[in-house]
Amino acid sequence: MKQLYAFTRDLHLYLGLVICPTVLVFAVSVPFLVHAWIPGAAKQPVSRIAGDLPVPDGVELMKGRDQVNAVRGVLDRVGVRGEVNFIRRIPKEHRLAIPVILPGREVVVDLNTATRSATITNRGDNLWSGLVWLHKMPGQHNANLRGNWVFLRTWKWLADATVYLVLFLSVSGIYLWAVLRAERRIGWTLIGAGAGSFFGLVYALTH
Amino acid sequence: MPSLTDRPAAPKPLSRRFADGFQVWNRKLHYYTGLYLLFFLWLFAITGLLLNHSSWNFAQFFPNRKVSNWERAIQPLAPASDLGQAQDLMRQLGIRGEIAWNAARTDPARLDFNAARPGRTYQVQADLKQGRVKVMLTEYNGWGLLRTLHTFVGVSPDDPRNQREWVLTSVWALSMDAVAAGVVFLVLSSLYMWWGLKEKRKLGLAALALGIAVCGLFVSGLRWLYG
Repeated sequence: MKQLYAFTRDLHLYLGLVICPTVLVFAVSVPFLVHAWIPGAAKQPVSRIAGDLPVPDGVELMKGRDQVNAVRGVLDRVGVRGEVNFIRRIPKEHRLAIPVILPGREVVVDLNTATRSATITNRGDNLWSGLVWLHKMPGQHNANLRGNWVFLRTWKWLADATVYLVLFLSVSGIYLWAVLRAERRIGWTLIGAGAGSFFGLVYALTH
Repeated sequence: MPSLTDRPAAPKPLSRRFADGFQVWNRKLHYYTGLYLLFFLWLFAITGLLLNHSSWNFAQFFPNRKVSNWERAIQPLAPASDLGQAQDLMRQLGIRGEIAWNAARTDPARLDFNAARPGRTYQVQADLKQGRVKVMLTEYNGWGLLRTLHTFVGVSPDDPRNQREWVLTSVWALSMDAVAAGVVFLVLSSLYMWWGLKEKRKLGLAALALGIAVCGLFVSGLRWLYG
């Protein structure tokens, strides 16, 4: 029993230390999401133009992941790396608007398939918007496109691992608390109070 | 006569007593906070997983939604702002929830908006000239309700027209802030506890460095590498 306690305590400690930076990313970004406000987000965009781009034939008519894979060569040529958020087609003007995101930076590549040129607009760096983006990614929208960049696929794995480890930390934390007999009464009271607040709020929101 | 060894121990200096007390209370508050937030943490952890895996079959909610429509007469709305009129209409219909505007109002004889709360959405389309309203109610299953709880804040950075106006959305948003603050406290208090365990500092530093390196790559490393 003593060994199990010591082993659980060590796992709780070391796994907690490994994931605490990622947990902080999720926690610190919450107020920005809840209040729809990101400090320093409104920056003056900077644009440049690139020409003679290797635009694949028929890229305008492609859909989903195929289209993203097809424009990747163009993005590499103009030096834009990251997750393609979506691709918006403007058929009359033979244009594709392609927002590409790195955590904390959004670059919009406005590709003209007729002239094989693009306007590349960089909206500037922002650490806080990067945290918000990481919090929301990969998320539930554009599921067929999401993870078109290797680092976002890695982040998805890391976000999942963080959730599983948080669940483990909460269960192991309950075990470590339950061993402390002197703290049981107040602990149960707090679990009850937390459950009351939680279920009370959920009930009020849904009924 | 008492010997030297029988003398009572000298009282600890104030700073030592403060440090000891801080250590004890930091530890207590660490698990008190964790126990109080347990259900909130489980909700946000599990729904985070659901949001990242929208293709999981067992948790599908949109194809299983129930839609019902009805139409009825309404009392004339008093002159007021769009929000005031929408709230008046919701009172008449017995609807509660967070109002979401889809588009700017162009026709003063019409009032169209959505009212949502976790698990259900009302699409309201009122013809004020005719004094009638059409309502489409969409109800989601438990999985849909859980997902909405994760994201139910009533505001969006891309849409300043939508502001929180339902008191329960504000309370829920406040509870999200509180959970986030609680989690930050859990992390900081754990770092303090770990630092007090001298024999575990080395391995702990390795674990923390690994976490910082991996997380730092995403937070700023990628911009530095590919910027």
